[in-house]
Amino acid sequence: MTLLSQDPTASSAKPRGLDAERAASRRKRNRAATLASIGFIAPLVLYLVIFYAFPLVQNVVMSLQRYDRSSFVYGGAPFVGLDIYREVIASSKFWPTVAQTATFTLVSITVQYCVGLALAVFFKSNFRLSSTLRALFLVPWLLPLIVSGTTWQWMMSADNGVLNSFLGFFGVDPVWWLSADNALWAVLIANIWLGIPFNLVILYSGLQNIPESLYEAAALDGAGPWRKFLNITLPSLRPVTVITLLLGLVYTLKVVDVIWIMTMGTGNSQTLATWSYGMAFGKGTSAVVRYSEASAVGSILLVVALAFGLLYIATQRKEKD
Amino acid sequence: MSHLNKRRAVQISALVTSVAFVLAACTSNTDEAPAASGAASQGTTTATIKFWDPYTPYQAGSDWDNQLKSCAPEGSTIERFSAPQTDLLNQLTSAVKEGNAPDIIALDNPLMPEAASSGLLATAAQAGIDVSGFDANLQAPGVVDGEAYGVPMGSNALGLYYNEDVLTAAGVDVSTIGDWASLNAAIEKVVASGSKGITFSGIAGEEGVFQFEPWFWGAGASLADISSADAVSAGQLLSDWVANGWAPKSAMANNQSASWDLFLTGEYGFAEDGSWRAGSAAANEGFQVGMIPIPAKDSGVAPVPTGGEFLAAPLQSTDASDHYANASAVISCLMSGDNAGVTSESVGYLSARPDVRAVQVASNPIWTPWVPIIEGAQGRTTDLGVDYVGVSAQLSEAMQGALNADGNADQVKAAFENASGL
Amino acid sequence: MRHSWWKTAAGLALTTIMLFPVYWMINVSFTRRESIRKGQLLPFDFTTEHYLVVFHDQVPFVATSVAVGLGTVLLTLLIAAPAGFALAKLPLPGGHALSLVLIVAQMIPAVVMALGFYTIYNRIGLLNTIPGLILADSTIAVPFAVMLFTAFMRGIPSEMMDAAKLDRASYWRTFRSVVLPLSRNVSITAALFSFLWAWSDFLFASTLNREGGQLRPITMGIYNYIGAQNQEWGPMMATAVIASIPSALLLIVAQKYVAAGVTAGAVKD
Repeated sequence: MTLLSQDPTASSAKPRGLDAERAASRRKRNRAATLASIGFIAPLVLYLVIFYAFPLVQNVVMSLQRYDRSSFVYGGAPFVGLDIYREVIASSKFWPTVAQTATFTLVSITVQYCVGLALAVFFKSNFRLSSTLRALFLVPWLLPLIVSGTTWQWMMSADNGVLNSFLGFFGVDPVWWLSADNALWAVLIANIWLGIPFNLVILYSGLQNIPESLYEAAALDGAGPWRKFLNITLPSLRPVTVITLLLGLVYTLKVVDVIWIMTMGTGNSQTLATWSYGMAFGKGTSAVVRYSEASAVGSILLVVALAFGLLYIATQRKEKD
Repeated sequence: MSHLNKRRAVQISALVTSVAFVLAACTSNTDEAPAASGAASQGTTTATIKFWDPYTPYQAGSDWDNQLKSCAPEGSTIERFSAPQTDLLNQLTSAVKEGNAPDIIALDNPLMPEAASSGLLATAAQAGIDVSGFDANLQAPGVVDGEAYGVPMGSNALGLYYNEDVLTAAGVDVSTIGDWASLNAAIEKVVASGSKGITFSGIAGEEGVFQFEPWFWGAGASLADISSADAVSAGQLLSDWVANGWAPKSAMANNQSASWDLFLTGEYGFAEDGSWRAGSAAANEGFQVGMIPIPAKDSGVAPVPTGGEFLAAPLQSTDASDHYANASAVISCLMSGDNAGVTSESVGYLSARPDVRAVQVASNPIWTPWVPIIEGAQGRTTDLGVDYVGVSAQLSEAMQGALNADGNADQVKAAFENASGL
Repeated sequence: MRHSWWKTAAGLALTTIMLFPVYWMINVSFTRRESIRKGQLLPFDFTTEHYLVVFHDQVPFVATSVAVGLGTVLLTLLIAAPAGFALAKLPLPGGHALSLVLIVAQMIPAVVMALGFYTIYNRIGLLNTIPGLILADSTIAVPFAVMLFTAFMRGIPSEMMDAAKLDRASYWRTFRSVVLPLSRNVSITAALFSFLWAWSDFLFASTLNREGGQLRPITMGIYNYIGAQNQEWGPMMATAVIASIPSALLLIVAQKYVAAGVTAGAVKD
């Protein structure tokens, strides 16, 4: 999916010695085209400025001033520059939380992608009921998070949860899923479950667009299913893969609800997003409302996501060259 | 061409960013911030009165809803909105900031000092609220810097419910439970007879701290020093329960309702829960439920935190006097004379007025065992005021650490000493 | 074809595993309150009382959710389709920057946006209204929808556009008569994503429509069952089951178009 790389107006070189008339009319058409494009894009830009830029700027500004509940209402919060950032980064919770966020995000998107791809390949061979089953795989998406989160929390209950009963069938000792040391893995499992539908949908349609002729040609060359997968499927899916992983990264970095509902971000399930959320609203063990620190952590998250976005664009540019 | 695009891109980004900054600057001016002017006596009630409370399950047709609507002044209707406790305070904050606050709010009592000192509430004098006749320990959270900000609409307390059938089968006599040692012995007997021991709520946040405080204070600890040996011993008690399998491992994630759901399965001998359950506990089908006060560590009854919400008037920016007149009318209707008892009953609380409470208890024997517990209850914010919220966060962290420690004494001690808050 | 039976069996097994939590939800919704925490595999203590409660309480909320969902779809398509066309086919100054902005826009935590919206809505009086909620929910889907449309429209051969230009058609005519009909699959895909995201939104609804009475979506209706000291999980699960039915039906119907639509035109030579 070459979303960001193509320049649609790159015209092929025309021979020199054009008529001045043709040049003039081309300039007029270009101007009309530019005006039209501005007209088409204006609603989006206005929309972006009002609804995204404004809260974003507000958020960054808030992280540069020391707010408490009173100054949030009445203003007058003192400007402290980067002090809040320094305090947050110096906090004993910062680096463990960063590590947990990295683990949570990377493991989530990797497993979601692999499982999504495996399922997409599996469903591509149209067998009986495949389209119904594929639609059913999207049902987790429809459930309110409060419900999915709570259901997973109960299923993972150390005392009588169904997950431990299931493991018991295989002789595995009951695991205390939601303890401080295991909470990260518990929320990872739930988050992966939630992310599979998205990956499945996108990768499945990516697979649909690979021409059958490529596979047939490979079959003629005597390639088995695994070779076909490695040499045709994966490379053809590269643009889709990159965008799926990037979007997966962006969405996973933001995840708060499912973690909050399952563990309230206790133990090692605390990520930058849940930490920011707890501080912004005075919930959980961050009961004191810390608007500035929450905004600072939120801004750090944005910078991380932005870094990956720029990385993506850089790779796209290099590819084009 | 791409160079031109890049320059254009930078220009446009700069334009967009500056527009956003202008927007941000425009909306951060505070000409809508509420002022301390206006008084109930100078205003008249309006046609629509907005009331916010945390009683989300009490929808139209419930006792509370009917009681509230019946207190609408002549020619006015009351619009009710409900949200969970912390959400309510945050939504009040943004509402006051935008000049959009409700006329009356029912706010959890430990949040009152923070709300008042952040300038979210009007004083009781301004809002025409009568603050006389309430128990001192129950009125205390609403008094900040000597100024009263609201009235307690009722009080609840924590007690130790027990499953009579399970205890009888285990051969436990509840009258012998007077301290932690005898409680532990009783739980051990219950577990030995095949049932599960005790369920409570240890969830992160104020709710878990609320349930922890009877054990904390019962051990003699004080909120001024949460790393004292007494505090650690309270944490050790809970940690040992989990380690022995006497309390569910899910306690650290259970809120009070989830904990009660476990008790309702009939598998547990004891449940720490509140007086708001008294009615449904008495009517429980399946097994008989009794209640004893939570024992202190060495002897006697553990002090429990005062529960219940305060009725207060948020600070208003426009037409303040009219809004305060609304507050005055509704609150005095809800809290005056016998109606105060009806109000408390409708949410399952005991009245904070001793005279009204006596009438309540006389007419409903369910309340009798709760009276001494409520009268001995301690305010959470009495000593710490606004600082309570921070200490509560640290205590919550310590408690979570203790519950996760699975009985390990060093870990419990470390949890209490290192609870930092940020 | 002979192999398709074991594939169907495998597919059923995988679907069962994937949907087990959903089964658990249904299980709880039919269980009496006392037994909900017992962890039983089947609803032995069966009851339909939760569903009765929900039918009584939640129907207006479902109606609001449907209205908000459909409105969000409409608004998203209205903004995203022309924008995708501009990014894909028209010479646009700053097109690359805009594409980066779209990705960054999706990174902003919803919480930050909701608070920003509250301030704006309060000034212009859009609080507690359905149009206001539609506007807010569309922000969840618009950037992604624009990316979808852009990717697809880039794949439309330039010859089709040039043919229209030869006919002296304006860009608007070209867009309406040539590009849009071709984008049917992508439109349905974008519609599906935006409907689902709007349907499951809780944050915007609770910040911006809190006092809306019955003008609140089902995600907030569920919160009536979460009180300070008491949560009713049975009715909550029952609400989730009931709320999932319209969207599940929608999914099964739209699945066919979504499969074709998401990356059509993107994976080329």
